[in-house]
Amino acid sequence: MAPRLLVQGLSKSFPGVRALDDVTIEVARGEIHALLGENGAGKSTLGKIVGGVYRADAGTVALDGRPLGALDEREAGRLGIGIVHQEGSLVGQLSVAENVFAGRQPTRALGRIDRRAMNDRASALIARLGVALDPRARVDGLSSAEAQVVEIAKCLSQDLKVLILDEPTAALTLNESERLFDIVRALARDGVSVIYVSHRLAEIFALCHRVSVLKDGRHVGTRDVSAVTPADLIRMMVGREVLLARQAASGTPGAVALEARGIESLPQVRDMSLTVREGEIVCLAGLIGAGRSEFCEALFGLRRRTGGEARLFGRPFAPAAPIEAIRAGLGMVPEDRKHAGLFLDSSVRDNVTVALRRAAGGGLLHRPAEDAAVARRFIEALGIATPSDAQAVGNLSGGNQQKVLLAKWLALDPRLLIVDEPTRGVDVGARAEIYRLLRDLAARGVALLVVSSDLPEVLTLADRVVVMADGRLAGEMPGEGATEEAILQLATRHTAVATLGEAA
Amino acid sequence: MTDASIARDRPLSREAAPLRLLRRFADSRELTLFILVAVLSLVMAAVYPQNFPTLANARAVLLNLAPVGILVCGMMLLMIGGTFDLSVGSTLALAGVWAGVVVGWWGWPAWAGVGVGLLVGGLAGLVNGLIVTRLGINALIATLGTMAIFRGLTYVTAGTGVTPISDPFKAVGQTVILGLQSPFWALVAVAGAMAWLVARTRFFRQYYFIGGNSRAAQLSGIRVERLTLLAFVVIGVLAGLAGVLGAARLNSAVVNAGVGLELKVITATVLGGASLKGGEGTILGGLLGVVFIALVENAMIINAVGVFWQPLVVGLVLLIAVSLDRFKTQGRR
Repeated sequence: MAPRLLVQGLSKSFPGVRALDDVTIEVARGEIHALLGENGAGKSTLGKIVGGVYRADAGTVALDGRPLGALDEREAGRLGIGIVHQEGSLVGQLSVAENVFAGRQPTRALGRIDRRAMNDRASALIARLGVALDPRARVDGLSSAEAQVVEIAKCLSQDLKVLILDEPTAALTLNESERLFDIVRALARDGVSVIYVSHRLAEIFALCHRVSVLKDGRHVGTRDVSAVTPADLIRMMVGREVLLARQAASGTPGAVALEARGIESLPQVRDMSLTVREGEIVCLAGLIGAGRSEFCEALFGLRRRTGGEARLFGRPFAPAAPIEAIRAGLGMVPEDRKHAGLFLDSSVRDNVTVALRRAAGGGLLHRPAEDAAVARRFIEALGIATPSDAQAVGNLSGGNQQKVLLAKWLALDPRLLIVDEPTRGVDVGARAEIYRLLRDLAARGVALLVVSSDLPEVLTLADRVVVMADGRLAGEMPGEGATEEAILQLATRHTAVATLGEAA
Repeated sequence: MTDASIARDRPLSREAAPLRLLRRFADSRELTLFILVAVLSLVMAAVYPQNFPTLANARAVLLNLAPVGILVCGMMLLMIGGTFDLSVGSTLALAGVWAGVVVGWWGWPAWAGVGVGLLVGGLAGLVNGLIVTRLGINALIATLGTMAIFRGLTYVTAGTGVTPISDPFKAVGQTVILGLQSPFWALVAVAGAMAWLVARTRFFRQYYFIGGNSRAAQLSGIRVERLTLLAFVVIGVLAGLAGVLGAARLNSAVVNAGVGLELKVITATVLGGASLKGGEGTILGGLLGVVFIALVENAMIINAVGVFWQPLVVGLVLLIAVSLDRFKTQGRR
């Protein structure tokens, strides 16, 4: 019998990039098939070709042995191929039911939308996913987990044969992820084939049957998940062994760099205190929504403080705008690289020097050659893989984008650097490099405050772990000897719902 | 962006040579426009040697494009920073009328009239900027509102206008230097200064970052609100200047001056390489856009095709230019 989905010899190029190169993959009925690879390996591209978003340059996609011609998303959906994008495809102003049936609402005579039928059918689809959601609710009021359920229901609203999930857990908490996995398993039992795009190893072992590894657009191999170890997969992904061992602290920390007392920035930050010393890496852990990013923004002058006080190197510190914080020696690498960090259409050079030129002043004129020299120094020092300093940052891989973002702040020589989620969307190889970089910075006496939701990362990096819950300080512990359980216990102390799945 | 890394050692997607040439051509809007301007001029000069390549014609074309050109310099700055201003035509009229009132009715000296015109323009820009940055109202709606308000203020101030204003004031707009009238020289000064500032100074380059990603710009220490406000003031002052020059040229402050001008200015700016989402464009490009549109209009007048065809052709040119952009970025995502 023909496999449910057969992808054969698929190739796809973007200007300057070979995203997929002769990839052949087979997915059986009811199989959960992981696509694993570093950022830029081509896994999302493959998913998008199957889902009709992109058109392949060469190769074929066959469903149940029938080769599919040129597809668009609507046609793919009609044939039973559904895709849940990383970015999401819902319209916030419309109801759950309207989103589920986007463009295909059940109608009565004259094309009038039959609201009752639409709501009933949406309800039924969502119930099939084991979730209770009001089909009349507006989508922008939903949590990311609920929105994802709506996305899946949208795929289910047609006769679903293949479901493509692209990094579905990126915005989910642990127990939300667990619930998603249950839904996916149930769909697979019903015969739906699932292509699960991810770079999180733990999820693949928890959920998937088989895994195909991509590297630089090429298919490295397909394995049964039961027959491989995480180390095997990492080796396939990066082509080398990667050590994410805990990096030992480099001597005793120095003087207090930052001392924050009772910082309040309502509604998210209620009463937060911490200190960071020179040469020390303090990790700020907590659940999503605990107010960690908001706390950092309040420190950086991006968000108004409603109470509390901070001292930076002994002096009172209350910046009214980021530029004041920057001039005082503070840097902040924001969490959301694409929306808050980078100028994607601008060159590596401009991205590296924008804050430097703003803060250091030193010249009326724009001198591209000077900026290029600075950028090239960091391209070399950080090992940023880019053809030149004039390349648009949007064309780089996630790991390299993150390095550009770090370079921007390193160029300013900050004395205290806040890094919000340093390795989100960064592959394993680049991750190790970024950890080494942060550790080197600390060794040079820079004080580091790292916000991270990735507990293994916290354990790898932290000299001290500070835990925040519900906008308040929940507790702290030395990094040496800290455990995921201990951190989670603090992180959930204030929350009413203290049920958490196992740590990813 | 796409899930894709940089392939340093692999060939790019291959395409035919003519396609590549077209892509190169589409890549620089300034080059595209320059070639179009040159070709159009040469063709016109060859077909109408009596009418087109004359000093009188050049003088008329340059005089007519001056106010639009001055405004394009400000609009380009705004659009690089990711916003725009619909109220420029009304601001121009308001400033011209106030200059006319203080000189023609109150007997102030001509230089004071110029000062008042610039001041009124600057204040109008300040109002726009404050509404957009402080109240957080979208620039389209904010300046749509002030477009009507400023026009209304113009009517309320001067009813049917101020005619004549005064002879010294007339000289502001009618002085001829090297055979060309003062509005053109004002454009040269404004355009030269703005082109240099935007291309070469760090301060003005901040607008590219604001338009590229305003949140990232803010996090990089750029004072986004303050700079946006400043850009509105700049275009306000420039509208004031254009209004004063227009009133002086006619020696008459007309209350309907600049009606519909905002769309003409935005058309030229977009043709010159600006994008509505910001972060793109150069002053030079905007000026070439103005020159090109002026040439097309001039060509049609000489051709005797008729004024009715002008907007149609300008619209087509705009759409073709923007389609070239689509072609340029096609396949990138």
